[in-house]
Amino acid sequence: MLRRTARRDRFIGLFVIGAILFNPPILNLFGGTVFGWPTLFVYLFGAWALIILAVALLSEKSSRPGPGEKAP
Amino acid sequence: MMSQPLILGVGIAYLLLLFAIAWLVERRGGIGKLSGSSLVYTLSLAVYCSSWTFNGGVGRAALNGFDFLPIYLGPTLAFCLGPIVIRRMLRISKANQITSIADLIGARFGRSGGIAALVTVIAVVGLVPYIALQLRSIAQGYATLTATSPAPGSQPLPYDSALWAAAILTVFAMLFGSRSIHPGEHHPGMMVAIAAESILKLLSLTVIGVFVVYGLFHGFGDLFGRAAAVPDVAQVFAQPPDRYGFSWIAMTVLAMLATLCLPRQFQVTVVENVDERHLDRAIWQFPLYLLLINLFVLPIALAGRLLLPGNDNPDNMVLALPLLGHQPVLALVAFLGGVSAAASMVVVETTALSIMVCNDVVMPALLRIRSLGLSERSDLTRLLLWIRRGAMAVVIALGYLYMRHDSSEVALVSIGLMSFVAVAQFAPALLGGLFWRGATKAGAIAGISLGFTVWCYTLLIPSFTHERLVAQFIIDGPLGIGLLRPYALFGLTGLDPVTHSAFWSLLVNVGALLVVSMLEQQRPVDRAHAALFVDADNPADAAQIWRRTALIPDLNSLASRFLGRARTQAAFASWARGRGLDPATAVRADAETVLFYERLLGSVIGAASARVLVGAIVEEEPLGVEEVMRILDETSRVIEANQRLEDKSRALEAASAELKRANARLTELDRLKDDFVATVNHELRTPLASIRAFSEILRDHPRLGDAERLEFLAIIIAESERLTRLIGQLLHLSKIEASGTIPAQSALVDLAAVVRESSAAMRQVFAGADVSLDVDIADGEARVMGDHDRLVQVLINLLGNAVKFSPRQGGRAELSLRRRGDEVELAVADNGPGIPPADRAVVFDRFRQLGDSMGERPEGVGLGLAISQKIVEQHGGRIWVEDAEGGGAVFKIRLAAARVPEPA
Repeated sequence: MLRRTARRDRFIGLFVIGAILFNPPILNLFGGTVFGWPTLFVYLFGAWALIILAVALLSEKSSRPGPGEKAP
Repeated sequence: MMSQPLILGVGIAYLLLLFAIAWLVERRGGIGKLSGSSLVYTLSLAVYCSSWTFNGGVGRAALNGFDFLPIYLGPTLAFCLGPIVIRRMLRISKANQITSIADLIGARFGRSGGIAALVTVIAVVGLVPYIALQLRSIAQGYATLTATSPAPGSQPLPYDSALWAAAILTVFAMLFGSRSIHPGEHHPGMMVAIAAESILKLLSLTVIGVFVVYGLFHGFGDLFGRAAAVPDVAQVFAQPPDRYGFSWIAMTVLAMLATLCLPRQFQVTVVENVDERHLDRAIWQFPLYLLLINLFVLPIALAGRLLLPGNDNPDNMVLALPLLGHQPVLALVAFLGGVSAAASMVVVETTALSIMVCNDVVMPALLRIRSLGLSERSDLTRLLLWIRRGAMAVVIALGYLYMRHDSSEVALVSIGLMSFVAVAQFAPALLGGLFWRGATKAGAIAGISLGFTVWCYTLLIPSFTHERLVAQFIIDGPLGIGLLRPYALFGLTGLDPVTHSAFWSLLVNVGALLVVSMLEQQRPVDRAHAALFVDADNPADAAQIWRRTALIPDLNSLASRFLGRARTQAAFASWARGRGLDPATAVRADAETVLFYERLLGSVIGAASARVLVGAIVEEEPLGVEEVMRILDETSRVIEANQRLEDKSRALEAASAELKRANARLTELDRLKDDFVATVNHELRTPLASIRAFSEILRDHPRLGDAERLEFLAIIIAESERLTRLIGQLLHLSKIEASGTIPAQSALVDLAAVVRESSAAMRQVFAGADVSLDVDIADGEARVMGDHDRLVQVLINLLGNAVKFSPRQGGRAELSLRRRGDEVELAVADNGPGIPPADRAVVFDRFRQLGDSMGERPEGVGLGLAISQKIVEQHGGRIWVEDAEGGGAVFKIRLAAARVPEPA
């Protein structure tokens, strides 16, 4: 019971972090270029990849049934 | 430049290949490893990327920089919530055999046909521009490749490539989506074909991207460097502060909602899902797909701006760039990618829409018209199929007409966003319905219809800009009322039309849902129904609300008309077996069986139609208050879970209390051990100290008299003996404890002899203390198996205690031996102060000397009873203490009598 709630809370947390990272005003902090690449390009795809990675880790970790837990 | 027949041929060949894939998958029964895998599920979700992504994204990037991205960040965010929102949609849809989003919203609000029809109509109207977008994109691509007129829709009808695209796509949509009626509306073949198209889309855009970056330029650094050098292009990514504002946020929110509400996304995410676990994969693989397909969008857009400066339509850069690099094959690949994107979108969208139109609008209406006699027709599957095909043709035709009518200057993305705002109107009712018990049907209808009206007013009508009337209407407002201008409603300016419309429509929508729902008094039955959707952890076994009965043959013939006789019989047989009914003899259907038939029908013709059909032949009884209460209780599984949690915590409390007790016992034992050490220390030191003191006197005073010397030596000897005794007892106890429960010696012991021997040994002591000792040995055999010497020791010990605790004058003790059934009882009684009940359990502990509490310290070391208890236990007996008659304590020992063979 607790485990499921914790998992749920983590996904909601990721959603909130993503919503903040992907939107203005945080977005408008990144302008110009870095090493010749557009900073916003690097930032957006980097943050995006990180969120996907976090979702993947969380989902793959918790989708395996734990001890004492029935497989769904 | 390429020949038209070649392009047409390749395009049609490609679509035929896809159809062959779908056909093969379904011919094999659709149970191949491929269909129904999580990979196919994930890739089919990518039907989200229509030609809007493929061509429009680049166009948008070329004009506005990064704001093509929110459309893909939104779904990423939505899928972060997938385990909560999408999983619930999946579970509820599975349990209720939901076939479309209209069905789901309709089912949530009391299986109401009206609201499902409303959702369907809005979906059709809202998605027409989106389908128009796909047709135009294909036509534009075709025009670019063949270098004909770039403006589709301006040619006379027979030469309009968009018309041909529409016709071909209609045929394929019918082939994919409405070849036969599938229960549950699963289309495994279509899913695999869509997955294949998704792979091609991604590959195609990536190949073009690599070609542009490394073929036309020297890598990313070169491309970005040259773009930065052209001020006009550089402004695309070197933005001033606050470039992205409300419009970015609005697009993110719209895309998020669209992922859940677009009929085609609902079709692939929910309806076509075969295994809930696929979602665990898809929630990160689908966003990953979106990331990968967008990786090259900005580089291609920048390259297009640099190399095609005079291009008036940035939406076709994906095709124009390979042509510029003299790579016609690559251009063809890009064209096929665009066709894939458009075709998959049109096929799935029209399939989903046709199911909605057929199940939620046309069929319920036809079934209600009694004069048609539809309910009496024997086979309706062909009718269903033709309704669907008709719906597909109508939807695509509407899309084509809209495309011809709409001015061609509007970019692809803007048209698509219009549709996003329209379908976002479903979100409040959908999410509110799934997570808020209080959402009512009236609230949902009010929200959706008001939101849709605002959408029509602020986006759809103004999109017909080349009507002079409309243009005037945009500038001045209706009848010249400035406050009602569609792009600046109530004077709200500074937002682009899409953001403006999204804000007003969703505000009105959510507001109406909340206000109407909260003002309305919910009927108990509606409340119970809402509880099924909102609170049920597993809606599959949610209780049945409607108390309905019907005759099973009636239901059977009804279902057979839509599913065929064999399929119906098989389904009912397995259902009946599961419930322990005999399918051959069951006649009257209870509420659950009626529900089963309704869901079975619903899986083919949708919940709304099924309700109408089943409603015609069932008898419905009103629901009592008790039932409603029961349903409310039953569905509140949360409460039950809480109960379980409480039980668990109680068990935990009990366990911790036990632990506490054990801990207290350990602490007590620890204290006893400390006492033990202290006592031993004291007991050993006292005799040692006196021995030492008297020895020193003897050494230092050689002239002591003989009498004194003898006296001192006697003391020394006595103290040494006491020491020896103490050490002996300690050793004895530890030996007994080490030997466990096995008697050291096992022989037949005559207890009468033991009693006589021990009383004889103690007689002197009793005489010295002036305590009388009565010995009472009953007649008869009293033999036990054991150790004679140890038993004597026990009795001596008990007798010693009796002497110690008997009063100085008139002390009396009694030692008795009695036979008690199979056991022999030894009792040692005294007339001393007795032992209070609270202390009876602890007197047998080591060094537990009751003298402490009685003010005087008795002699002895406090090991006697502990040793006695051990010995008795070794003999398999028990020892305890109780009150003696006339005051005092009596120690009793019971031992099992030995079976002695009768002397022959």
